[in-house]
Amino acid sequence: MTLKHCARAGCALAALLGASPGAYAACDAGPGVLRGSTSRVALAFRTDPPAIKVGELFSLEAEVCPEAGTSVTGLRVDAGMPAHKHGMNYRPRVSSTGPGKYTATGLMFHMPGQWQFTFDVETPAGRERIHVDYTAQ
Amino acid sequence: MRGAAGLTAAGFLACGLVLMSSAAVAQTPLPGPAPEELRNIQRHGPWSQPVPRDPSNRVSGNAEAIALGRALFFDPRLSPSADLSCATCHLPERALTDGRDRARGGGAAKPRLDRNTPGLWNVGHGRWFGWDGGSDSLWSFALRPILHPDEMGASAAHVARLLRGDANLACRYANAFGRAVPPEAAAESALVDAAKALAAYLETLVSGASAFDELREALARGDATAAARYPDDARRGLALFAGKGQCSICHFGPNFSNGEFHNIGMPHMVEPGRVDPGRHGGIRRVRADKYNLLGAFSDDATRASGSRTLHLAQNHGNYGQFKVPSLRNVELTAPYMHDGRLATLREVVRHYSELNVDRLHQDGEALLKPLRLSDAESEDLVAFLRTLTSRSFPDLNPAPGPCERRGA
Ligand code: HEC
Ligand code: HEC
Ligand SMILES: [Cu+2]
Repeated sequence: MTLKHCARAGCALAALLGASPGAYAACDAGPGVLRGSTSRVALAFRTDPPAIKVGELFSLEAEVCPEAGTSVTGLRVDAGMPAHKHGMNYRPRVSSTGPGKYTATGLMFHMPGQWQFTFDVETPAGRERIHVDYTAQ
Repeated sequence: MRGAAGLTAAGFLACGLVLMSSAAVAQTPLPGPAPEELRNIQRHGPWSQPVPRDPSNRVSGNAEAIALGRALFFDPRLSPSADLSCATCHLPERALTDGRDRARGGGAAKPRLDRNTPGLWNVGHGRWFGWDGGSDSLWSFALRPILHPDEMGASAAHVARLLRGDANLACRYANAFGRAVPPEAAAESALVDAAKALAAYLETLVSGASAFDELREALARGDATAAARYPDDARRGLALFAGKGQCSICHFGPNFSNGEFHNIGMPHMVEPGRVDPGRHGGIRRVRADKYNLLGAFSDDATRASGSRTLHLAQNHGNYGQFKVPSLRNVELTAPYMHDGRLATLREVVRHYSELNVDRLHQDGEALLKPLRLSDAESEDLVAFLRTLTSRSFPDLNPAPGPCERRGA
């Protein structure tokens, strides 16, 4: 799914819900925005702080853009180091902040190197899994 | 961070030139650090750094509390049998360790405890305390030796009485906390205050720069002459540490620890039939601790400092994990590991070199592989670790001036 598609789907949904036009802007690429997608949903997120520090808790704000006509009912966030075969030592808490919008707190990358976020997007049609790679330095 | 890396590259180039030009003299020309290794080196500083104020401890950084904590640290009367002070196990002349494999407790029995006494220099830079990280603040950790029956075996009432009965301690207490030592009925708050004063003191125990820090600074500012003063064997050891040895992945950052827990395949049998559960037990302990950062005794009204504790995840892999110790001053704190099983740094390096992969049980670190170092490489790595010894340490126990009651 292309970036454009996501933006379009987001806008369509936003219009449907009567949200303000800028509501889904996070699904567009922008400074500090990380993205991932499947054929049915795209996801854009920003971490706080923007450059994740090894060994420090961080949070993220995510926005899920499903294809037109679908809704998002939930999001799970996790991460791990595939090469080291381990996850995080902390369990993030995810809360919904608006339609398709979520905040996750309590993430930590405790080693430098190659990490991978895993987002599980719940939709009425089933779960969509999105992986996003991140190098922590 | 970015800026530092840029500077560093320049420093490295300059330094590499000098190394090359002096190759004829030094027989073994040292290749300069690769850019990736160079970034790893820079991440181990700057040093030294003061410990940031602890929002969960209202007397963190308070000079009177520091003086009270210092007095308590060296006072055997903190134990009811008056035979054990903090400094009995954390000896000033031994970099605040006791030189034993596992600590000896107090009282008549002097039981052998389960774990090795860690050094306390730079302890305030940690986030979890104890080898299992069973405490989430320095002050809540300090309560453990005071109360533990195998260690000081004191009670809140005992500590409150000590504070009240000694004019100097009572005076420092009043200055630090702005009130008289609480009465018997509120002894627990006096106990927690004593632990907070001890923590305020421990936070001041920051050691000075080491030969490694001098090299790091020299590389950062491109001072090849200063960088060349760093010994060649340690330089090769550093390349191993930050390069193929992958040591700096866990022994990360300015204090050479990522502050977290790993299983490096050390045996964790305490005695036949009893294991040290390591981090698994630590997570259980900190969650159950009424003195943790989410509890009523934290002075951080926002509870933001308890965020780590709140988000802790526990899983089976936590068995056999122990805290990644800082390596600053590691030369001074033998023996090593959570149970003091390894007597020398050479033995530690042999452990990583020969690593028993079977022992790294299923959940162990996939990152760890036997390094199969040559004897020369092992010596180099040890030489590097020795350059982490600080050149200066602040006076642990300066003679305190008399306490004058303020604003009474
Ligand atoms: C009987 C010996 C003994 C006494 C007395 C003692 N300690 Fe310790 N200390 C230890 C041992 C052993 C450990 C490791 C404990 C563990 O991991 O469970 C330790 C760990 C610590 C740590 C955690 C260090 C780290 O890096 O995680 C701090 C802080 C500390 N002690 C402070 C104190 C203070 C303050 C006192 C006095 C109130 C004290 N200790 C008294 C033996 C002792
Ligand atoms: C996977 C993370 C990890 C890696 C990689 C790692 N260490 Fe460690 N290190 C630890 C942990 C955890 C301990 C404490 C283990 C215990 O007590 O059982 C430790 C302990 C030590 C100690 C003992 C310190 C003390 O005070 O007792 C030294 C020295 C040390 N490591 C050096 C190294 C060197 C050198 C390397 C690279 C060859 C290295 N480490 C790689 C996690 C790691
Ligand atoms: Cu890892």
